[in-house]
Amino acid sequence: MWKNYLKISFRNLRKRKLYTGINLLGLTVALVSFIVIALYINHEWSYDRMYADYDRIYKINQEFISNGESQLVGSSPSLLPVTLLEEFPEVENATLIFDLSIFSSVMIDAGEGSQEENHYAMVDEHFFEVFDFNLIAGQKTGILSEPNQLVLTESTAKRYFGSAFNAEGKSLKVDGKDFLVTGVMEDFPSNSHLAFDFLASFKSHRHSREPEWSPSNYNNYVKLKPGTDVASFESNMAEMVEKYLGADLAEYGYETAFFTQPVTNIHLGDPTLSTIKPGTDIKYIYIFGVVAILLIAIGIINYVNLATAEATERNKEVGLRKVMGADRSQLFGQFVSESMILSLGAILLSILVIYLVAIPFENFGGVPLDLNLLFSPIGIFGLTGLFLMVGLLAGFYPSLILSGMEPMKALGNKLKIGGGAWVRKSLVVFQFFVSMGLLISTFVVKSQLDFMREVNLGYDKEQVVALNYHYTMRESIPTLRDEMIRSGAAVSIARAADMPHDVKAGYKIFPGGDNSREFMITGYAVDPELIGTINLELLAGENYTQSDPVRRGLEENGEMPILLNESAIAEMGWTSQEAIGKKVNVGFTNNAIVKGIVKDFYFSSLHQKVGPMVIFNDPEEANVLLIKLAAGNPTANLASLESIWKKLVPGRPFNPKFLDQEYASLYQSEQKVGLIFGLFSGIAIFIACMGLFGLVSYVALRRTREISIRKVLGATQGDVLKVLSFDFLKLLGISAVLAIGFGMWFSDSWLAAFANRTALTIWPFVIAILAVMILATLTIGYRSWKVFRLNPARTLKSE
Amino acid sequence: MIQLKNLDKFIESRFQRVFILKGIDLTINEGEFLTLMGPSGAGKSTLLNVLGLLDEYYEGDYSFGDRSIKSMKERERSALHKSEFGYIFQAYHLIDELTVYENIETPLLYRNVSSSERKSIIANLMDRFNMVAKKDLFPAQLSGGQQQLVGIARAVAGRPRVLLADEPTGNLHSGQAKEIMEIFQELHREGTTIIQATHARENADFGTRLINMLDGKIESDEAI
Repeated sequence: MWKNYLKISFRNLRKRKLYTGINLLGLTVALVSFIVIALYINHEWSYDRMYADYDRIYKINQEFISNGESQLVGSSPSLLPVTLLEEFPEVENATLIFDLSIFSSVMIDAGEGSQEENHYAMVDEHFFEVFDFNLIAGQKTGILSEPNQLVLTESTAKRYFGSAFNAEGKSLKVDGKDFLVTGVMEDFPSNSHLAFDFLASFKSHRHSREPEWSPSNYNNYVKLKPGTDVASFESNMAEMVEKYLGADLAEYGYETAFFTQPVTNIHLGDPTLSTIKPGTDIKYIYIFGVVAILLIAIGIINYVNLATAEATERNKEVGLRKVMGADRSQLFGQFVSESMILSLGAILLSILVIYLVAIPFENFGGVPLDLNLLFSPIGIFGLTGLFLMVGLLAGFYPSLILSGMEPMKALGNKLKIGGGAWVRKSLVVFQFFVSMGLLISTFVVKSQLDFMREVNLGYDKEQVVALNYHYTMRESIPTLRDEMIRSGAAVSIARAADMPHDVKAGYKIFPGGDNSREFMITGYAVDPELIGTINLELLAGENYTQSDPVRRGLEENGEMPILLNESAIAEMGWTSQEAIGKKVNVGFTNNAIVKGIVKDFYFSSLHQKVGPMVIFNDPEEANVLLIKLAAGNPTANLASLESIWKKLVPGRPFNPKFLDQEYASLYQSEQKVGLIFGLFSGIAIFIACMGLFGLVSYVALRRTREISIRKVLGATQGDVLKVLSFDFLKLLGISAVLAIGFGMWFSDSWLAAFANRTALTIWPFVIAILAVMILATLTIGYRSWKVFRLNPARTLKSE
Repeated sequence: MIQLKNLDKFIESRFQRVFILKGIDLTINEGEFLTLMGPSGAGKSTLLNVLGLLDEYYEGDYSFGDRSIKSMKERERSALHKSEFGYIFQAYHLIDELTVYENIETPLLYRNVSSSERKSIIANLMDRFNMVAKKDLFPAQLSGGQQQLVGIARAVAGRPRVLLADEPTGNLHSGQAKEIMEIFQELHREGTTIIQATHARENADFGTRLINMLDGKIESDEAI
C-alpha cells in the first residue's frame, strides 16, 4: 500500500513541476534558515557546559551600593579566592583569572621580533582544577604554580613554535620579561566564555604576593561541594565581608556584597557582568527563535495554500478513488505521503545547502556552525522530528479537504472548495503580515543606525586617529608628540585615558565648597590639548593649560582647575556663567575650581543619556594619543607618523584606529541585528512571493476562459492585471494594517533600549509596505502577462 | 437481492420540492441484467448512485440482501460498497496519472488484497481483455474503446456481485459499443448482476429486463 502511495505521490509531484518546485524551494529556504538559527541558538545555549561538574562552578561578582545606588561588576578582589579556599568548608576549589587585555596589550617575543597580543591572562595554580581543559603537552600537577610560567593554547603554540610539542620548555619574552612555557592546552572552545591565547602564572604578578580586598579587578570562580546551598554560601560571604571589611565600609559610607553567578549563565546573562568575552543578549536569542518558526510557518503555508488550491484540480481523482472503494483514511494517507516526500526532499536539500553556507555564516556571524551535530543522535532525532512535523503540518489540512470531498459531486466537477478559500486567504494574509512586519522592523533598525551614524555627537570624529601606548613609553610621549606636530602630518595631539566615545571612569561629586549636591560623575583624564583636538565647544570660561597643576602629584586637597559639562552644572543647579570659579569636591580633591563649561557631548553609547562629566588634567593616567590629522591624504599623513613612531619607540606596535570607525564599532551588535533582520525579511518575502506566484497561477488557470473573453471584448493587459490582482491586493491590504500594528510595537520596544533615538517617522512603514506590495504586484503581473499572451481563439475553443 | 420501497429523492428549493426520484418500488434479483432507459433528467443516474451507495440523501427504504442500508453503520456500508459493487462510467474516468495496470490495481489496493493475489487477478483480466501489451501505457495513450475496457476490467477486478454502468457506451462508436455490450453479456452469463443506464434501445437487447423512467418515476418494467 505504502509503496503504491509513494509511487503515485512521486508521479503527482513530478507532473506538477512548477508547484513542486515552488514548494520545494520555499520549504528548503525556510528549513535552511530554521536549522542555521537552531544551530546558532544551540551554540549559544551550550556555553560553558564542557567542564566536569559545570553545575557546581560559579563566578563571584560584586555589588557596590552607595546612596542607595547599586552598581554590579563582574569582577572581585584578589583576596577573595584565597579566603574562600581557606575559610569556607563548602568551597571545594577556587581560582582567579586576571584578564590583562582589558588594560593593555602585551608584547610577546619568541626571538623573532615582538608581536602585540591581546588575549593574555594570568591565572592561579587552581585554574586547571576548576576548568578541566586538556593539556596537550606538560603536566597538570603543579602547573602555573611558580612565577614566570606560561601555558599556551595549541594554535598559539603552533604560531610561535610550529607545534605544541616544540613549545614545551621553550622560553618567551613577555613585555621584556622571560617566561617559560610549561604546558600547551587545547584551544578554548568557541562556546566557552573564556577565550585566551596565553595563560601566565598569577604568581608572576606583584599583586599575587599581597592579595588585597581592593581593587576588584579579578575574575574569580568557585567550585562548590555537591549539595551546597548557594543562598547560604552567599550569606556566609556576607558575614565574611562584615568580618574583614565592615570597619572600612562604615567609614566610607559604602556597602558591598558578593554574589554568585552559575558559570552557564554568564554568556546569556547580564552583559555588564560578562567581562572576558562579550555575551549575547538573550532577547535576541528569543527573537531569532520566533523568526525561525515564522519562516518555517511561511514555507508550510505555501504548501497548504497551493495544495488546497490544487484540490479543485484533483477532485476527479478523489471522486474516482472513493467510488473504487477508498476509505477516507486511505486517501488521507496518500495525500500526506505527498507532503512527506516533499518534506524529506526539502530536508535533504537543506542539509546540502547548510554545508555550503556554513563558512560564509561563520565569517558573518562570528559563530561556528557545528555541522557534526546534524548527524549526532540528537541531530538526527531533531531532523527526523522536523521532517515529520513539516510533512504533517503541511499535509494535514489539504489532505483533510481533499479526502473529505463527496465523490459524486467531485466527479461531476461541480465542486467549489468554499471553506478552503477562506483558510487560504487568512494564510496569505499571515504570510504577508510576517514579511511586511519583518521588513518594517528592518527599516526601523536601519533608521536608528543611520541616526546614530549621523547624529551630532558634540565632537569631531573625522580625521582623528587614536594610538594606544604602553605605560612604559610615557617618557617618550612628549618628544613623540612634538616630532609629529613638526612633521606637518598632525595638527593637534592630546593624551587621554579613554577614547572620547567610550569614557568609563566613574567618580563622585561630594557636597563641599560651593556645591551641596552629591552625585556620580564620569571623569575624563586628559591633557589640555583635548578641546582643540576633537573640537569640543566651550560654553563659558576657558580651558586649563599645561602650566596648571595636574592631578597626579597634587598635594592633599590642593587647588586644581577642572572643566564640567552642561549636565554636571545642571545637576548642581548653576548656569554656565554662574558656575565659573566655583569650588567643588570631586573626591580626589575638595579644592577643584570650575574653570570652564563644555557643551554636552556623547561620551558613551547612545543607549544612555549624556550624564554629568568632569574633565581634568592628568596626562599620567593617559594611555591613548588622539591625533587630529592635517588636511590632505590620510594615508600619507599616517605613513609619516609611523616613521616617527618607529624611530622613537621601536619595537612598539603602530596601530592607528580611526575614531569614526571605532565609534561605529560601538554599534556592531545593532548593525548585525539590522543585517540579520534584513536577511530574514528578504527570505520571508521571497518565500511568500513564490507562494503568491503559485496561487495566482491557479487563479489564472481557472480564469483563463474569462480572461480570454475579456480580451476578445477589448480588455488591455492592465485590465487583466486589475482583475487578477484585485483580490490579492485586498488581502495584502489587511496584512499591511496588521504589520503596521506590529511595527509600532516593535519600534517602541526595540528603540526603548536607546536613550537617544531617532524620531519615528512613517517612512519605514510606507517603504516596507510599498516594497512588498510592488513585489507582489510584479509577481501577479508576470503571471497575468503569460495568460494574456495566450491566443483567445485557442483557449476558448478548448472549453 | 436489492429491494427499494417507496424511495424519494428531492431537492428543497425555495418554493417547492423538486423530485428527482419519486415513489420508486423496485426489486432486483441476483443474476439479472437490467437496463434503465429514459430521457436525460429522468433520474437514471441518480438511481444508479443510490443503488451503488454513493448517494445517501434519499427517503424511503433500500435493502440489500436482508439488511436495510439505512440501519447500517458507516463502516458496514463502506465495506458493503467495497465488496459488492463495481462501477463503469460514460467518460471512463480512469486516473490519468496511473498506467493501465495500476488503474486496475487500485480497487484491489483499497481492498487490501495481497500483492501476489493482485498480480494473478490483474494478469487474468489483462489476458481476458487482450490488454497485456498495453499494461504500461497511460490512459491518454489509449482509444476510447480501449479506455472503457480498462474501466470494465477495473470495475470487475474486485469481483463485485453487482456491476453498475452509467451510459457505458455513450462516448463510443457502434462497433466499440457492441464489443462492450458483448462483454457485459458474458459477465452476466457468469453470474454477475448488471444494472446499466442507457439512451440506446439496442443495448437493452443484451439484457434480461428493461425499465423505462420518466421524471423520476418508473413508467414501465418489462422482461426481455
